[in-house]
Amino acid sequence: MIPIEFFLAFAAILFAIGAYGVITKTNTIIVLMCIELMLNAANINFIAFSGFLGDAMGQVFVIMTISVAAAEVAVGIAILLNAYKIKKTTETDSLTCMRW
Amino acid sequence: MFIEYTWLVPLIPALCFVLVGFFGNKMGKTGGGYLAIAGVAVSCLLSVLISYEFFTSAAYASPGYYTESMTWFTFPGGFEITIGFYVDTLACLMMMFASFISMLIFVYSLGYMGEEGKRKRRYFAEVALFVTGMLGLAISSSFIEMFIFWEIMGLCSYLLIGFWSFNHPEGDDKADNAASAAKKAFLVTRLGDVSLMGGLFVMLYAFGSLDYTVVFDAANIASVDHNLIIIACLLIFGGVIGKSAQFPLLDWLPDAMAGPTTVSALIHAATMVKAGVYLVARCFPIFCEASSVMLLVAVIGGVTMFFAATMAMNNMNIKKVLAYSTLSQLGYMFLALGAGGYMIAIGIETGDTALIAAGSLGYTAGCLHMVNHAFFKALLFLCSGSVIHSTGTEDMREMGGLGPKMKVTSITMLIGSLSIAGFPFFAGFFSKDLIIEQALHAADYGTAGWIFIVLWALAIITAFMTAFYMFRMWYMTFRGPEGPKTQHCHGESPKSMTVPLMVLSIFAFGFGFVLLFGFDGLLSINVDLATGQFFVGGGHAEGLEYLVEFFTNPWTYLTIVLVIAAIIIAKFMYDKRKINPGKFNKNGTSWLYRALASRWWFPELYNQVSWKLGYGVARGVDYVDRNIVDGAVNGLSNAVVGSGDILSKAQTGNVRNYAAVVLGGIVVLFVVILALFYFMGGL
Repeated sequence: MIPIEFFLAFAAILFAIGAYGVITKTNTIIVLMCIELMLNAANINFIAFSGFLGDAMGQVFVIMTISVAAAEVAVGIAILLNAYKIKKTTETDSLTCMRW
Repeated sequence: MFIEYTWLVPLIPALCFVLVGFFGNKMGKTGGGYLAIAGVAVSCLLSVLISYEFFTSAAYASPGYYTESMTWFTFPGGFEITIGFYVDTLACLMMMFASFISMLIFVYSLGYMGEEGKRKRRYFAEVALFVTGMLGLAISSSFIEMFIFWEIMGLCSYLLIGFWSFNHPEGDDKADNAASAAKKAFLVTRLGDVSLMGGLFVMLYAFGSLDYTVVFDAANIASVDHNLIIIACLLIFGGVIGKSAQFPLLDWLPDAMAGPTTVSALIHAATMVKAGVYLVARCFPIFCEASSVMLLVAVIGGVTMFFAATMAMNNMNIKKVLAYSTLSQLGYMFLALGAGGYMIAIGIETGDTALIAAGSLGYTAGCLHMVNHAFFKALLFLCSGSVIHSTGTEDMREMGGLGPKMKVTSITMLIGSLSIAGFPFFAGFFSKDLIIEQALHAADYGTAGWIFIVLWALAIITAFMTAFYMFRMWYMTFRGPEGPKTQHCHGESPKSMTVPLMVLSIFAFGFGFVLLFGFDGLLSINVDLATGQFFVGGGHAEGLEYLVEFFTNPWTYLTIVLVIAAIIIAKFMYDKRKINPGKFNKNGTSWLYRALASRWWFPELYNQVSWKLGYGVARGVDYVDRNIVDGAVNGLSNAVVGSGDILSKAQTGNVRNYAAVVLGGIVVLFVVILALFYFMGGL
């Protein structure tokens, strides 16, 4: 049996990588991918605690999260495509019109 | 039968005000004038019927009044404000003469305001409201109701004095005067009204109610702190001073001549200034609590009486002379009420029934003079209006010799002048001599009696001056050489104007006789010494005793001689022109003449006070408002907007920054929670 700390450490590392990518990368597609990484880090935590506590509810939530994440990616990519049509770029630094 | 419908008396003119105000221009050429006249005529008839019913009812003997009221609203503290009517002889008297004289003035207005066109609608609507105010005041059953009607009259006086203009157009002195006079009348009386309101608050605090039945009840008066009543009386008298234009708030009334003459007649005879006299007469039960309050009333009245009469002596404006004479006659009324009340107050203290009966005569004299004055002053004003209508000027130097051209006006005005001068057997004679007698009588009692000697002397001198200035006016207008405007005057005025003059002159001559034929009981006030309760009416029908009293009193002959002498002097100065008035005043350069012409510098004083004090206060208030009140509000909004501006800089629009902030926030939160766990061992 692998101790739960390993899972948690792995998820934390994964989350940190994702967060680092969201903050530093200027390409919006990579930012989206990094968000997926963070999401998966949370999923791993769910699974780990589910196994640790012997409760299936965590796994149920993971399945739901994955389906919601799929929809979310579809919406995100659609927004991105439209933004690209207008601005001819996907750089986050240039997409700053949503402010005062 | 009728008395239950007393509330209709003010309501009918109020209804006329609404109807004329909205639909006057659809009611033919008079702009609703006929409706207004009909309304007041109905009120007049109704008040006569009510009065008759009251005098023959059981309520007249005991308790001396008939009242009905209903609750208007209740304050959380248990104070109840009622609205209703209160009929006693004083209210009957006021209702009858106010509605009757107003009716005649309205009829006269048909002729006098005949050329005003569309503005007649406004005129008739406003005068109807004015009469509503007076009739409502007369029948009010509580002080708060009285105050409402009191204020309605204040508003109407403003609207009507400024009838010609409320603006100050460049280069139009007449419009400018009218607008200033209206403002002055409103603001000066407002000063008094604030004082009156203060008095009402004190009364509400003292009695817990403002109903006449509660406030004038002897048991309630006895149970209330004496000093509170005196404070309330003084504050109420402040309101009276403003409304009845007594010293020192007397200056608005002469200026109010800028309005139409009919309005002057209405203000001086039937409404407005009479409200103050009425209020003092009404408040006798509480005013008589202290002889010092009544002394103040008498002194204010005496001073006004004398000073106003002096100012009338050299004025050249026919309406201004009449305005000063009104002030002077109002002074007489307050002198009478004050002297009578002074004796009653002392009589109550010492338990002297005879003295109370003597003091009651002062009340009779004051009320009788109020009614007499209403008749002859309405007559005089309407006559002067007739003259102004015909000649188109108010300056008496431009008139002269009008007598043959305006026979009715000149004769009726002569009757009015004789009456106000106190010529024997005219109405004014009875009331004025009774007042003078009262002033002398009061001098025998109390520690402050010597003041009444002075007031009595002033009253006699004023009687002389009154006769002089009235006949100066009459001779300058109707006798002597023809003035420049006399040549092209229009002749006698139309019937609608002369008929009211004739009716009024009958009353101006004959109303004094009511005193002789048993009606003086209606004008009197009595005190039940055992309970201290005041009764208006009942009284002491001495009838012809008054004649004996008058003509066995040597001082009566003195006033008669002085009055006749004054008339003869006026005749020689302004009719025969044997004596040149100019040699008494160095042709208008003596200091006395200049003092009178500038009204004893009263307007100057008003201006100084209002500029130095009023304007200073206003500037201070303005500064506080702009810089402190507005400053606080503006500062708050500036702070909010400014901080918003600064904070909005954080919104870069770059998602990466937002993400970094969110993440940083989470980290900080996490660290804080960890620290809490570490240092405190749990939350």
